[in-house]
Amino acid sequence: MSGDSEAGAGKDAGAALRYVCYGKEKESPHLPAIRRLISKDLSEPYSIYVYRYFLYQWGELCFMALDPSDNVIGVIVCKLEPHRGGPLRGYIAMLATRQEHRGKGIASKLVRMAVEKMREQDADEIALETEVDNIPSLRIYENLGFLRTKRLHRYYLNGNPAYRLVLYLKPGIPYKPTYPPEMMPEDGGGGGGDPLHESAGLMSEDLMARQAAQMRIENVEGERHDGMRGPP
Amino acid sequence: MPVNEAGEGPSTTAASETDKHAGLGHANAITRLQQEAMAFRRRTLRNITTDFTVAAKQLQPGELVKDEFFTLFEAVGALEIMDPKMDSGYIPPGDTLDPDFDPSVGLEAGEVIWIMDQLLCLEITWLEGHPLSQTVYTSLHINRLLSPDQRHSDSFHINPGPPPLRTNQDTLVHTVLRAYCIGMIKSSQLALHLIQSQTYFEEEDFVTHLFGRELLPKIDSSAAADSLLEAICWLETCGIAGGLCPALLQRCKFCLDLLRTLAGDAQRWQDMLLDLDQIKDSHHLGSPIPDAFSEKVQRQLATSTPPRPTIQISLDAAHSKWTKLCQEMLSAYELTDSDAIDNSHCLERAVWAFAYRTQPETLARAQMQDLLFSNHAVRGQMPHYDLMLTDLKSLVLAGDPLSNPEIFQIELPTDPRHACSALLREFMEKAIEEFMALYRMVYQNRCRIRRLFTQSIGIWDELQREADAIDDGLRQYPLSSQVLNSGYARTNGPLLSWARYHTSQVLVWTVQLGFETEIYLPDELSKMYWYLSALCTYRNLVIESMLRALLERKRRVRGGSRDAADCVASQQLLMSLLDASKVTESLAAALWKFYYLLGQTGIIKSPKREFAKPDLLHEARMKSYLNVPAGFVTIDLPPADGYESAVEALEQHQTGSHSMKTTTFQAIDEDLKAAKSSLAALKKYTPEQGGYVGTEAEWKKEIKQIETTCVAVAVGLSTLKRLGEKYGDGQRLGLQGLVECALERKYHVWWVIPQLKEKAAK
Repeated sequence: MSGDSEAGAGKDAGAALRYVCYGKEKESPHLPAIRRLISKDLSEPYSIYVYRYFLYQWGELCFMALDPSDNVIGVIVCKLEPHRGGPLRGYIAMLATRQEHRGKGIASKLVRMAVEKMREQDADEIALETEVDNIPSLRIYENLGFLRTKRLHRYYLNGNPAYRLVLYLKPGIPYKPTYPPEMMPEDGGGGGGDPLHESAGLMSEDLMARQAAQMRIENVEGERHDGMRGPP
Repeated sequence: MPVNEAGEGPSTTAASETDKHAGLGHANAITRLQQEAMAFRRRTLRNITTDFTVAAKQLQPGELVKDEFFTLFEAVGALEIMDPKMDSGYIPPGDTLDPDFDPSVGLEAGEVIWIMDQLLCLEITWLEGHPLSQTVYTSLHINRLLSPDQRHSDSFHINPGPPPLRTNQDTLVHTVLRAYCIGMIKSSQLALHLIQSQTYFEEEDFVTHLFGRELLPKIDSSAAADSLLEAICWLETCGIAGGLCPALLQRCKFCLDLLRTLAGDAQRWQDMLLDLDQIKDSHHLGSPIPDAFSEKVQRQLATSTPPRPTIQISLDAAHSKWTKLCQEMLSAYELTDSDAIDNSHCLERAVWAFAYRTQPETLARAQMQDLLFSNHAVRGQMPHYDLMLTDLKSLVLAGDPLSNPEIFQIELPTDPRHACSALLREFMEKAIEEFMALYRMVYQNRCRIRRLFTQSIGIWDELQREADAIDDGLRQYPLSSQVLNSGYARTNGPLLSWARYHTSQVLVWTVQLGFETEIYLPDELSKMYWYLSALCTYRNLVIESMLRALLERKRRVRGGSRDAADCVASQQLLMSLLDASKVTESLAAALWKFYYLLGQTGIIKSPKREFAKPDLLHEARMKSYLNVPAGFVTIDLPPADGYESAVEALEQHQTGSHSMKTTTFQAIDEDLKAAKSSLAALKKYTPEQGGYVGTEAEWKKEIKQIETTCVAVAVGLSTLKRLGEKYGDGQRLGLQGLVECALERKYHVWWVIPQLKEKAAK
């Protein structure tokens, strides 16, 4: 359980970076640096609980790029859960690389490691959101095989729209049943599913969506059908 | 901290450790909540600080103690107290809690003008979707009126029995500005009410959060209007010089117009446009008094959101935003202000014409919904059921006794018309919601329109099943059997045809909106235009079978009768719908082949897609179309995976003397020719025939746009031909690296056109 376990052949020869998994350590000494790196481009930082939420439950899905002096140069934070009772969905919540190290393939490498790990853990699909005009980020994910499946109106606090990107890892996902999204309360569709799940799960995504990032990192989860309000 | 004596409160370790089994954790959490609820009545007070400290020491730093109800929501909602970026109640050293400004102090006329203009800016930013906390609430005058500590909620004074108004400055604040503020607050409340009464998406379209405040519930809009009238009266005789008085009057008048219009007492959007121009012209008379606004107000609001800056826009920006809103409101009334709205097709065109202005503001979209949906009737005059009946009649029931509304009046159970009308009513009850949603959905934001239509595919599939069953029922009665059993396949019943017609339209829209929202990458365009073309081919078949059934009915109706006229009208409508669908089919066919060539020649390259497999990419892209529950929709529908065979067919067409590109070029030319000839046919329909009464200008504009698109495709194609001749070997084009390809949607948002340019030689 000693924290930063070496992950595979995680060496970046050019930049002499080490790629390590956050692992099962509850509170790694790297956490403050991870927080600083991710918060750098956010006008509203996440509270420590957001990091703990991900890292405590899915520390093995968090990877860091460290320089020879163990400075955190890049980081990716993910989770892996069934999506609305259906496919096991990996979710890339945060990805950040230090400004001066961008364009060197570090983020791609981190995403690749996270995808491999999620695949190892039997993920059916992987999803994330990114700002529509964040071309470098879109390029990273699209080169790895993610497709844009939705455009999300005013997804970020700054009012910018996002794309939802999805990568299927297994066949047959479209045919897997999920809880229906909460639709127009009056106009058909109807809630369905577990009401607790609906209110708790979906609200979280909504708020998270808003608090999440203005930035160049990929945030936040899930559908936002919850936001739809019908006439009373 | 109250906990129950028996110690049945939250366990510090409950569900924290290895209990990752969701079901079990959930059950535990429910049990715990039940225990808490039971213990609630027995609660007493005990200081648990020591217990808490001891328990906390047993945990490792970073260990998360949570149950199943602790979601990302709670994690994100948690604040770190005293962190200035998170804690909206944090007061930096040396700062004061409250802003240092007294709203009850008299002000100069110029200052009041400036405050009013600032409020005008903040009001429109709120209407655009920013929270009140960052807009209207930052006004300290508004804050004083709304503050929960304020017992005299219509006054800027804290204490009762305000001193008499001695100076003009006092009156300007306590009569004029106060009336203006109250007017703005009541207008906000009415706008909020209108939006909340319709379908919208919280946060995406609008933020309804009031942060624990109320918008002057004790003052109604007529009282607010009276205050404004009182202010106007005073201003007219106050004798304040220098053009200031007219400027104040304009602002009060705008506020009053807005209030009365939103309250439904008048319709003043046109007047407001003039008011706005005058306000803009006299804005320079304002003297800035920035202290009258402060973000410190956020410290006292009921919110867990962090402190956020006021959204500042210039008056010029506010002027153009307000102008846009007023014009959209006017347009909502104009587009629904004709008898044409009784026609479901004209109404559909009006709905899309409205939505396809630059994305209308949420308030305008709510207004348009209100006009269409209040009291289940369009503009209060065309009941939704009647609208649906006219839709059925125009598409599948012209000349059929079923389309006669009188059959709904027949009560004699032995009359077959009674049984038939009951069946039709049964179907309409099942379908009305989804039918009306075809109109409602278009009023959502663009991204949502696509997603909502996508979600409705399955519902329409289900409706086809219902329609087919009811068609079967109708066949049992002589009334309709002579018409319905006229030699057509079982699947051609009128209700099934109707449901199919709408399903095909929804499917086509979802793909077109995919182009608009740019979710397809360049190397996916070929496949998606193929799919669009194939969906239109399906739609054509549906419409053609409706036309055949119509001609059959037409033969049976008496010449010169009302039924005969209905049949003629239906025929013209169906022909125009068919021509429109053919335009899309042919243009999409040209484009899919064009994009295929661009891929083949290496001009458009695919991303590496390291982790992707072709079949999984296909599933991800076509999910909405694969996922139709085992349905009806799939009869005759193009298989979502038919692209490869289409490509194969294209390649097979090459003959000995022609290289693939030549035959493909020819095929594209033919598609474009077909598109143009369908466009020419489309131009010949009158507004009545084509169902575009009231939206004639938009109809013409769209035809023009598509014509231009055809030309642009032809130009692109000839560029490709030329470059191919210059560089190609006659068999395969290899143009990678030689050609620049820009993808443009400048003629129509649904049509992505490749614009090719030879790269400058190095």
